[in-house]
Amino acid sequence: MKWPIRLSKDSREPIYHQIENQLKALIAGGQLEAGTPLPSIRALSKDLEVSVITTRRAYQDLEQQGFIETIQGKGTFVAEVAGTSRQQVKMDAVWRALEEAAETARRYDYSYPQIEELFSEILEQLRKKEEKA
Amino acid sequence: MNTLAVIHDLEKKVDDFHLGPIDLTIEPGTVTALIGNNGSGKSTLIKLMMNLAKPDMGNIHLFDKFVYGQDESWKQHVAYLPQKQIGFSPYNGHTLRELISGLYPNWDQPLFDNLIKAFQVPLDKTYEKLSPGAQQKLNLALTIPRGTKLMILDEPTNFMDIPSKSLLLDVLADWVERDGRALIFASHQVEDIRKLADYLAILKDGRQIGMFEKERLMETYQSYWINGLPEHAAIPGLVERQANGLVSDDPEATESWLKAQHISWQDRTSLDLEEIIGLLMKHH
Repeated sequence: MKWPIRLSKDSREPIYHQIENQLKALIAGGQLEAGTPLPSIRALSKDLEVSVITTRRAYQDLEQQGFIETIQGKGTFVAEVAGTSRQQVKMDAVWRALEEAAETARRYDYSYPQIEELFSEILEQLRKKEEKA
Repeated sequence: MNTLAVIHDLEKKVDDFHLGPIDLTIEPGTVTALIGNNGSGKSTLIKLMMNLAKPDMGNIHLFDKFVYGQDESWKQHVAYLPQKQIGFSPYNGHTLRELISGLYPNWDQPLFDNLIKAFQVPLDKTYEKLSPGAQQKLNLALTIPRGTKLMILDEPTNFMDIPSKSLLLDVLADWVERDGRALIFASHQVEDIRKLADYLAILKDGRQIGMFEKERLMETYQSYWINGLPEHAAIPGLVERQANGLVSDDPEATESWLKAQHISWQDRTSLDLEEIIGLLMKHH
């Protein structure tokens, strides 16, 4: 089974960080339940075409933050994650996406008021779409 | 003991070919790809590691032992697959298995059986009657189950069909993860390097260009799409100018220089491993 992790080699976000954040999102979003076994470091590295150094770093960070746990001789598993951490991950993911959008707009020389206007317009359209559905 | 192999200041002259100096450290749990142009010295390096040739300078330790000492007991901890097997021709797979498994106390018979079954190698045909692909599969089946700490494969997938290759990569990934093992393989196959290697040791015409961690190397190189790059500027990090921009091996320095010159770039992309290897070979 291939894991739903998509790395972007062109992103400025380091690869280990991308792995870390995507696994976090899967755990926080409930797609990966507590107790789900994770692939071994080497197996995931092979699938993602990265070195074990990179994958190990992501796993170590996730373990430190309590998202996964390693049981000696058995492997690595999704940990029981507190509700507050879940909220934090969701918040972080949305924050990053919006921040990235704003940065793109700034790169194209949009002014702050123009960006605000665009955001409002996008929100307005989304609201209309949801009301119709 | 934290390293399985240490190569230090190694040099060897063969006629007018000069290998080295080579410095390499192999740690448990790692996969190192030996990469280089034809005649770059990959096979010579491996032969020196296996004490099949003597170095002129420097030294090689495998498991903390000099490889060219009297005591060759370290050999039972190393599985080595040369590019060409000498002396196999008259024997069939059954006989070869008997000969080889006897040399390795930790021979893994179930793994051998699995590989033979998965690769569909006929064991009753003599080696010389097998196709190059089948010979390679049999060789791998005779090498991987040796239960050693270190495995050195010299171009293991040259003749392999696609499904067998993907199976082999799975088997090797699984093999290296157990018991603090390490794998070194020489290869021209970028796919194998991408999927399996943690470190890339790159040789060119006998010289070692470097030993790189894969993602570090990938992150080092960036290509920029720029219109109107001044022609004679000395740009920090510049590796190569291209029709619409440049390639940098120090993106931070390049970008701050570009910003200082008020030059903007329309696109910034990372390079393929293949392109990076090509650039390393071209500019070193």
